Amino acid sequence: MKSAWRYGLAALALLVALAPIYWLVTISLKKEIDQFAYPPSWWSFTPTFEHYGDAFRVRSFGRFLLNSSLVAAGSTLLALGTPAAYALARFRWPGAWGSKIGFWILSTRMLPPIVTIVPLFLMMREARLLNSLTGLGLVYTAFNLPFVIWMMRGFFEEIPPELEEAAMLDGESRAGALFHVVLPLAQPGLAATAIFCSIVAWNEFLFALILTQTEAATTLPVGIASRVTQYEIQWGAMSAAGVVAMVPVLVFAAVVQKYLVRGLSLGAVKG
Amino acid sequence: MKKLPAGVPWIAPAVGLLLALSIYPLIYSIKVSFTSEAGGFTAAHYARLFQDRLFAVACWQTAEYLTVALVVEFGLGLSLALLVDSLGRGRGVFRAGLLAPMLLPPVVAAVIWRLIYNPQFGVLNGTLRAAGIPAQRLTWTSGESSAMFSVLLVDIWEWTPFLFLLLSAGLQAIPQEPYEAAKIDGASQWQVFRDITLPLLKPTIVLALLLRAMDLARIFDQIFILTQGGPGFATETVSLYIYRTAFRFFNFGYAAAMSFVALALTTIFARALLRGMRAGSAR
Repeated sequence: MKSAWRYGLAALALLVALAPIYWLVTISLKKEIDQFAYPPSWWSFTPTFEHYGDAFRVRSFGRFLLNSSLVAAGSTLLALGTPAAYALARFRWPGAWGSKIGFWILSTRMLPPIVTIVPLFLMMREARLLNSLTGLGLVYTAFNLPFVIWMMRGFFEEIPPELEEAAMLDGESRAGALFHVVLPLAQPGLAATAIFCSIVAWNEFLFALILTQTEAATTLPVGIASRVTQYEIQWGAMSAAGVVAMVPVLVFAAVVQKYLVRGLSLGAVKG
Repeated sequence: MKKLPAGVPWIAPAVGLLLALSIYPLIYSIKVSFTSEAGGFTAAHYARLFQDRLFAVACWQTAEYLTVALVVEFGLGLSLALLVDSLGRGRGVFRAGLLAPMLLPPVVAAVIWRLIYNPQFGVLNGTLRAAGIPAQRLTWTSGESSAMFSVLLVDIWEWTPFLFLLLSAGLQAIPQEPYEAAKIDGASQWQVFRDITLPLLKPTIVLALLLRAMDLARIFDQIFILTQGGPGFATETVSLYIYRTAFRFFNFGYAAAMSFVALALTTIFARALLRGMRAGSAR
């Protein structure tokens, strides 16, 4: 194929991928009369930010945004997964226990959420953790844990063990060597893992839909979804909220682009 | 007493949390699936499964959705990966831009298509009409016969990038030497693709298809927002049916029983897929 043809085809694919996203942005910036205009206009309209003010100040999307941020940040605690990943990467395990435990951990990630959602709902109800960000954050932490362990294990294995061994000969303990030698070297990986975890929590829908039913604990995806089905025609607020929900993910994903393939193979971005 | 391996305290907190929030719910769910509404033991939920025609329809439609989406997304993803890989300058721009749909929160992706598909005010029918095509009667997600197609189209838009990304990475990891040797031997482009690219890409293909298939088997978010499984039952899938049974009709026992059958079906399917692909690569 001639090179011009190939560029043309690739540009067409790019257009198909991006046009719907661009359309959402224009809807969020259009006055109502322009939103429903025929023929639809792709660029000739006077932009307004009124829908953003309306969604986040008048309607409850400000609250939903705060909730989403809190859950995403809270469930990104890597404290549980990182030591486990380190132990699986470095310690000697009797028999093949190291890899057995590793695969068991990964297999919990393969469970379809719909299988655990009914019992989790009943458990949370009993523990009085329904409609609470704590409950939802706990579920997301457990959900992200296998991912953290597998990602971090890979990063730890890339660091030569001689470095910690030297530090331990100098009198550092295991934990000290992890903190002072290994973690600083694994920092880019640690940051990428944290970003992936927060994207998963930020995007998650099914658990949030079922475990939170009050406005005080609603996250952004559930808030957007409930407006879609209740008032079909609130396009302005809905699309403004949609844009606000999508921008941080796109920015963060650009930051971790280098690790995207590894992250996605281990199930990041979408649960 | 035998000494525990030194790593145990390091992994104990993580394993504990997983046992509590992943394994325990699974066991608890087995109990729920054998509990009657009065609280006694019953196997009625499992018996009911075999008579529930709607469950069968939901299973069938999920399989249909999975197969079509997987085949189309794989074909498109591989073509795009090969196309972008063959470009010179600007490759990075295409690669990054083509990924965007997959990165959006699934809810936002579905909302975008609600806006686009709206029969009256949507940009799709508006553009078609402006181009002189009588599109007033195209109902997309709200028509019984077009709903499944429309929902699939969204899936293809959203998730082809996933296969594109993994296959692109796989292509980049293939060493250059066999290509140079083939060039010297005067192999045709098709021969190069069939005898070099495809076999060397096989592990990536298997992984990508498996990951996507497992995700498709649990499809929920997009359909929930686009159609709620309707109109009628036209886009109902297993996950939606279980959701409705548990959280609209509050029949937790039956929902739990269905979820186990779904889990078993997914596992069998994933294994069959893996075995099939292994057999294919042995040839």
